[in-house]
Amino acid sequence: MRHTGTIAMRELRSLFISPVAYIVLTLWSVIAGTFFLASLIGFQERLIQLKQFQMLQQIEQMNLNDNLIEPFIGSMWVILLFLLPAVTMGLVSTEKANGTDELLLTSPISIWEIVLGKFLAGAGFVTVMSLIIAFFPAILFAYGEPEVGKTLSGLLSLLLVSMTYVAVGVFASSLTRNQLIAFILTFVLLLILGMMLPFIVEISMAGSGMGRDSAISQVVNWMSTGSHVERMLKGLIDTADLAYFVLASAVFLVLSKTVIESARWR
Amino acid sequence: MGWVEVKEPEIRGRDSAETSSPTLAIEVKGLSKRYGDSFAVRDLSFQVGPGEVVGFLGPNGAGKTTTMRMLTGFIPPTDGYARIAGADIFDDGLEARRAIGYLPEIPPLYPEMTPRSYIDFVARLKDVPRSKRKESVERALSRCGLQDVARREIRQLSKGYRQRVGLAQAIVHDPKVLVLDEPTVGLDPIQILEIRALISDLAATGGQTILLSTHILAEVEAICQRAILLNHGSKVLDQPLSEMVSSGASLEEVFTKVMTREDHETSEAGAGAVA
Repeated sequence: MRHTGTIAMRELRSLFISPVAYIVLTLWSVIAGTFFLASLIGFQERLIQLKQFQMLQQIEQMNLNDNLIEPFIGSMWVILLFLLPAVTMGLVSTEKANGTDELLLTSPISIWEIVLGKFLAGAGFVTVMSLIIAFFPAILFAYGEPEVGKTLSGLLSLLLVSMTYVAVGVFASSLTRNQLIAFILTFVLLLILGMMLPFIVEISMAGSGMGRDSAISQVVNWMSTGSHVERMLKGLIDTADLAYFVLASAVFLVLSKTVIESARWR
Repeated sequence: MGWVEVKEPEIRGRDSAETSSPTLAIEVKGLSKRYGDSFAVRDLSFQVGPGEVVGFLGPNGAGKTTTMRMLTGFIPPTDGYARIAGADIFDDGLEARRAIGYLPEIPPLYPEMTPRSYIDFVARLKDVPRSKRKESVERALSRCGLQDVARREIRQLSKGYRQRVGLAQAIVHDPKVLVLDEPTVGLDPIQILEIRALISDLAATGGQTILLSTHILAEVEAICQRAILLNHGSKVLDQPLSEMVSSGASLEEVFTKVMTREDHETSEAGAGAVA
């Protein structure tokens, strides 16, 4: 597995040479800053409103975690669906476009080392993205008293979901030599996996008389990343949710390995 | 000049090449590659001894690239086997690939990297030990005349230089066997002479076994000791150049004769099948 690091480092270096990395990081930071500021102002206005009407009970319930940090990270997760495909689209597809897949596949390395190297490079990049997000709640600690555990749980959910999405990106990128196709494919897969699965089931079962509690709808809800992210955002770190992220990543990495391997046989 | 990382001394000489197969640099037996109903390579067998420089000749589509891709483990054969320095390309793939330096038809380059960082990357992929890595990288760069451009981006380099970078990545781990797929195609005459000189130099000083494909006959005459002729995926001639010359015919005459006879036969066979 020692080549995994070699491949990951080369990929990261190339990523940071390309403008894509900087465009994504700039957009990410700007959007995060805007969202954060907007939710901060919203939080303040609501507090003033509640005070004016002497609604003490509601004021009691207002807190930085539930009313600011959680919606903030939640909306950044949605932005991730749009930006992440740009990061991962070239991971494997450019190797094919450059002809460098011929170098990798004729080197004394295993396909697993290639796949994991690509995944690690993407994981490194999304770690930087998550750290940028972590900066904003950190500001709140200077002026208020948010709950540490809940905040960290939310940030962890963003990091884990990003890594799972990187695995999806590696898979989509291994299917084509064209970066644009890889981008669109990743985006569609993320959209389905991230938010559309529950809706698809609901719509398709609308006439069947089966309710939300049916086995199928429960399974599909479990497959969707959305439900797991939401629970972690609320501060619940459950091993079942952690296992989901590991399992989902593993599934897409195994698929990537199969795709790269089968390309040889064509 | 000795090359770094020679794990075991090369066993040279005719007697060893004849008897046991592990000492052969390249051993190919019954190798075939089929795409659908048509064969890209059909029942190909040949052997290359250590230190030999062999030219792989044939028109476009003869199966040269396909054969090389099978030897280097890029694509699996449909049938038959091949061994590189005694290691089976399939059962012992990692060992076989470690023994090979390969320059594909299109040099596998990352345009955003510099030649130095790229060669260093390849050295890591090919398991050059950490203690010798820097030395191996610099040696490969200097052998291929890349020191002056080592800090520039590969995308800025001319085609000739890119080809040299491709060659440098093939030799950085001092492989026992070098497989070069049309190393001079698309270069200008001066660059062609330079690359040829470089290959001859590698064979002379590195003692490496070289298999190179080309469709330029003069190239084979200039650097190879032996020519293997392919047509329609099959071997049609396998002869040391010295024998060809002693028979009085030039390589071009032999080539033309074999190719036309071959085409005549296949068209006859085709006609026969229809009738």
